[in-house]
Amino acid sequence: MQYRQVAVIGGKGAGPGQFGASLRAIAVDARGNIYAANDSQITVFDAAGRLRRRWSTSQPVHSVAVAGDGAVYTGQIRQIEIFDGAGKLVHTWRDDALLGRVTAIGFVDGDVLAGDATGRAIRRFDAGGRFRNNIGRDNPLNGLLIPNGVVDFGVDAHGIVHAANPGKHRVERYTPAGELLGHIGHFHGTDPAGFGGCCNPTNVAVRDRIYVTEKAGPRAKVYSFSGELEAVIAADVFDANCKNMSIAVDRRGRVYIGDTVKLTIFVFEPVAI
Amino acid sequence: MSEQFTRRDLLHQAARGTVLATMGGGAGFLVRKAHGQVVWQVDAARCLNSRLGEVGVEACNLCTTKCVVALSAVRAVNEHSRCGRCNICPAYFNITSAVDARGLPSEKLCPRDAITRKPIGKADPEDPANNFYEYLIDEEKCDGCGKCVMQCKEPLGLGSIILRIRYNRCVDCNRCAISTACPKDALIQVPVEKALT
Repeated sequence: MQYRQVAVIGGKGAGPGQFGASLRAIAVDARGNIYAANDSQITVFDAAGRLRRRWSTSQPVHSVAVAGDGAVYTGQIRQIEIFDGAGKLVHTWRDDALLGRVTAIGFVDGDVLAGDATGRAIRRFDAGGRFRNNIGRDNPLNGLLIPNGVVDFGVDAHGIVHAANPGKHRVERYTPAGELLGHIGHFHGTDPAGFGGCCNPTNVAVRDRIYVTEKAGPRAKVYSFSGELEAVIAADVFDANCKNMSIAVDRRGRVYIGDTVKLTIFVFEPVAI
Repeated sequence: MSEQFTRRDLLHQAARGTVLATMGGGAGFLVRKAHGQVVWQVDAARCLNSRLGEVGVEACNLCTTKCVVALSAVRAVNEHSRCGRCNICPAYFNITSAVDARGLPSEKLCPRDAITRKPIGKADPEDPANNFYEYLIDEEKCDGCGKCVMQCKEPLGLGSIILRIRYNRCVDCNRCAISTACPKDALIQVPVEKALT
């Protein structure tokens, strides 16, 4: 399996559709629209990469996800702001104890999952914002080991939560109730099939496969659910100093990766061989 | 210029001396320096081994090879508050060495074996990867070669390991041999009261 780069979106700058100082997270909705969490705003591009709209958040935004009904959830520090598709603020969930720095958001069985990097756990809330349970908090002993400072995860079609545990060089599988089912991945400093450095993978996305990004050196890879490396999507295109590159996958299999130094979204698609 | 020494100054100096004296020989040496004197210091933001943006280059060891003091007056220190306490620390292990049966790199990085580690808190006996570690640098072994510093810095690590002057070894040359050789002008002179130990 191979990938080729097909588009570049954003870039560092003050122009329309560019990102000023940060690009922390990206998401793709069912129509292929791309949502970027940059600085203190959400920037939306259509599937062709054209700027559609943007709106401000009350704080710097660390994560973004789009629910099935089109609501846009944005993770911040100690709160989640929920917007409608047009960017109108609908709800704000604040929780000093359970929401630290919210670096990932996802959905499972009508519930909302929030990656809390401060508490090193994934918090599960119902649709009204009431806390249900933790995921990965005690797995079984020390929780998610995240020296990189980000909790990230994806949810597969069966409702299984795949969480990056970079300190262990694994992607762990959990039930929504928090039961650890297993993991893929292992440390290796030279074999591309392994995860290198102190702490990788940093970010993860899930659709038909498990997609991850790594830091130092930055690269993106695809694994089967059983843990076989299927492809290295890209490596050289990313700035050598970037880390915690957000990754998203649309239903066509296109992969979107946010370079946190170049402030650019690189788009890749699989090539039929 | 008047050099009046007030009671406030005296108390300040005494308190500072107490703090520094508890921090070891190097800090203790600074207590004996007069207020306002200058000492050499490594500027981590300039040092090739620790400054951000320098990736994919060999560690600079001029602090080891140029210093006139045996073993060098420069050493590596780990600022524990910034340390990620990783299971696989790139400053501790040679992370590109072969992986052993435990899933760990088979070689250590430090050529003088100056870095040791121990688990923090309750250790997981069944899963070595499920532990945090405290990393300690043996000052008597470290020669300031900078390899661990280079491996610890962002984005590979968190930049908790940096080079510092050992003031109990530094002979305070007027023209520091390291500063003369340093390509980044990372050896700077600072007032003794601002020196980092």
